[in-house]
Amino acid sequence: MSDRTSPASDNLPLPLSTRERGPETSPHPDPLPEGKGIVDAGGGRLYPDQFIHNVAAALAGAAGEQTEVAWRRDRKGVLTGWCRLPSGVALLPAARAVAELQGRLAMVTAYLPERAQEKGEREIAYHFDLDGATLTLTVILPLEWSRVPSLTPIFRNCDWQERELMELYDVQVVGHPDPRRLFLDHSLPHAPFERLVPYSTFTNAATSKALWDKVMAGAREDA
Amino acid sequence: MAIHEPGSAAEPVGLFRINTGSCNGCDVELAVTSAVAEFDVEQLGCRYTESAHEADIVLVTGPLTVRAREEVLRLHAATPRDKVTVAVGVCPVSGGVFRDSYAVDGPLERHLPVDVNVPGCPPRPQALLEGIREALEIRRARREGSEPTRLPGDRKQPGKPGTDNFPARGRLSFDAAACVDCRMCRHVCAAGAIRFEERDESVRLTLWHNSCVFCGLCSHYCPTGALSVTGDWRLDHRATDAFRQIERGEVPYAPCAGCGEPIIPAAPQLLHAAFRRPNPEIEKLKNLCPTCRQRMSIGVPRR
Amino acid sequence: MSTKIIELGSHQLALEEPMYFRVQLEGDRVADLDVMPGQVHRGMEHLVMRRNLYQNITLLERLCSLCSNSHPSTFCAAVEDVAGIAIPERAEYLRAVADEIKRIASHLFCCAVQANVIGETTLFRRVMEIREIMQRAKEAIYGNRMDLAANVIGGVRYDLDADSAAYLAGRMEEMKKPLDELYLQYENNPAIMARTAGVGVLTREAAREWAVVGPVARACGIDYDVRKKSPYGAYDRLEFEVALQTAGDVRARNLVRLAEARQSVSLIEQCLDGLPAGPLCADTLPEIPAGEAIAKSEAPRGELMYYLRTDGSDFPVRLKWRVPSYMNWDALKVMLKGEPVANIPLIVNSIDPCIACTDR
Ligand code: SF4
Ligand code: SF4
Repeated sequence: MSDRTSPASDNLPLPLSTRERGPETSPHPDPLPEGKGIVDAGGGRLYPDQFIHNVAAALAGAAGEQTEVAWRRDRKGVLTGWCRLPSGVALLPAARAVAELQGRLAMVTAYLPERAQEKGEREIAYHFDLDGATLTLTVILPLEWSRVPSLTPIFRNCDWQERELMELYDVQVVGHPDPRRLFLDHSLPHAPFERLVPYSTFTNAATSKALWDKVMAGAREDA
Repeated sequence: MAIHEPGSAAEPVGLFRINTGSCNGCDVELAVTSAVAEFDVEQLGCRYTESAHEADIVLVTGPLTVRAREEVLRLHAATPRDKVTVAVGVCPVSGGVFRDSYAVDGPLERHLPVDVNVPGCPPRPQALLEGIREALEIRRARREGSEPTRLPGDRKQPGKPGTDNFPARGRLSFDAAACVDCRMCRHVCAAGAIRFEERDESVRLTLWHNSCVFCGLCSHYCPTGALSVTGDWRLDHRATDAFRQIERGEVPYAPCAGCGEPIIPAAPQLLHAAFRRPNPEIEKLKNLCPTCRQRMSIGVPRR
Repeated sequence: MSTKIIELGSHQLALEEPMYFRVQLEGDRVADLDVMPGQVHRGMEHLVMRRNLYQNITLLERLCSLCSNSHPSTFCAAVEDVAGIAIPERAEYLRAVADEIKRIASHLFCCAVQANVIGETTLFRRVMEIREIMQRAKEAIYGNRMDLAANVIGGVRYDLDADSAAYLAGRMEEMKKPLDELYLQYENNPAIMARTAGVGVLTREAAREWAVVGPVARACGIDYDVRKKSPYGAYDRLEFEVALQTAGDVRARNLVRLAEARQSVSLIEQCLDGLPAGPLCADTLPEIPAGEAIAKSEAPRGELMYYLRTDGSDFPVRLKWRVPSYMNWDALKVMLKGEPVANIPLIVNSIDPCIACTDR
């Protein structure tokens, strides 16, 4: 896996479009033909080295030479690829490269990693399906004033994923076409998943305590 | 008050459902009570209605989410004043597994009066019918201006333990004699349904059946079988009795055979689980505190 | 032509769960819509971080009761991946049995609801009665009709002995004829055809663009089933064909579901025939190291994905999942476009939307 770059370079100077390298200028291997090439005659999974090579080449071409994908093959032969992008700026070109490979956006996971406060970092993982294999591109962002470019223009179904991410975390998705709240009621505070928000204001197990007090009291009357 | 009597063949009792943000388990089972002949609410002289104004009995599911609250209260307010409200599943009563979430604003009781609880997660259709029957009794008694007379538990006729042919997952049962106070059950319980209290002479376990979701995980991980799932699913009760729906047992302390500190002796079930066939030497361990146990083990001459 | 905006709630949409739509009409036809979820948002992804991995088995089973087994089994698969646990072969088969029973019941519920929406009350009741065979089987084997409590980390916590296996085999036999009949009815019955054929069409191209999954995708000819594409559990040893249709309409979606339900019967029979002997669970209380994993499965509504990140404690650092319904809502814009208002409830129900799953 490549080294992380300094937090400073993760600070996305937006807009990105003027600075990014478009995938169309980089050499591209053939996209994976649909449903072909990765199932062997016995029906078992057989991802040829070619597939791994294609993904690596596409990402390196799009997001920079240091971009490396670590692949894990499980007992059934299913592949998961893990790639930490060298910088936040690499996200858009890398996502375009995945789109060119016929990748499908499957899920977006924002989270505060272990010791997030200490390191001043947060991460967002973008999980793509490549005909059964799952490729995860992870960007590392500063904990405060985090911004990521919207992938909705590339993957239409990223829309809800990003709206949800914006309401649960303190992350700004730049260029999202419709940044309204999605699931959270308007009476709830913004970004409930940030540990920085004091938990006690709304998740302090007060309900449990009140109910159990009654259970204990009710049971005493019986005795 | 209405003059004519709903509940007669001419005018069935109206059932109105409100989903306050459930996992849909209770709702799908309620759908069964309108679609499947064996469980059809028709047999109780009831019928589902889509109109809040026709609600004689309101069936509420779910833990009451913040987002649904306004609409739930509006709908409930639109129902007739003399309706009977039934909390279906443990969610509305205690929040079930969703309690203490930032997005949940239950229990329901904080916002509106509840008459009957039907524990279960979800309750089987038979239990739903029992709950509706209970609501019908309350309704009748209120109309007659009398108190409902039925004694608690008199539907549990002897010889019919409520299991029918199948071992449905019902109330949990606790055997204090087998408990070793490892508290694994509390650790794995998603619903926060188990409490331990340290008392002067004992440790006491309380399991609240309005919080329990009857998953049986506590019993699965219990090393001695002190907790077990029974087939008793008839748990519907008046909401006023909600906090008395408990299973409880005391595990007494005994003095350590070595130093006299109060300890919970290891239950025979644990020794059997750990050693298969404990010998007298091992049996001695069960009445020792951890420190004395160590001392004894190290002191035992090796052969 | 007059443009007007209407708001529809679960009652008008004939949904079991609360959900709101804002629909833009041109005359009496749908021009656009805005889906407004959140009524069933229980903050579950937050709750799972404050519960340990064991508690989360039970909590996740209550995400949604229609696909309730898919959640704990996929979550456990993610934990097992992080911990490097290979579950016993018998457990793989038993997980498949539980998943397939749930699939049959779920698909039938969806087909029943749609029959009800188009006013085929007799058919609705008939499908619900057939589904009851599965409900009873679930209660007999697992003790609950919805939430099976079948999974633990490392395997399963139920077993099929000779008697219960024979009982289940009997129920499978009982399902075959009715399922075959239902398929023919949803395929050819003129009254049903009239309401479902050519209605709510999603083309293959649009299906790709909107990235829909599950029966909704397979009804457009997209050959994607996680059980085949990324085999897990016992599925690499079981025989089945991916159920496909090409029309992309309401009828095609139902035919995919009914074909799959029939196939699930065969999958369960294969599991019962080939059930390997051995333990049910690998290790009762395994150490869960720090790590991250992805686990996927084919839930009744399509691809389900879990991401788990651990730090060596038994509380997850992050547990994220994406349910199949999440991917399918937005495509309703395409399916509903130009449809008369009267078709809205049917088309919405034809994607078998799960709101409890979506909102979490
Ligand atoms: S009580 Fe259980 S089944 Fe009913 S809504 Fe709550 S979680 Fe779902
Ligand atoms: S069965 Fe046991 S673990 Fe499950 S909710 Fe009830 S008390 Fe908790």
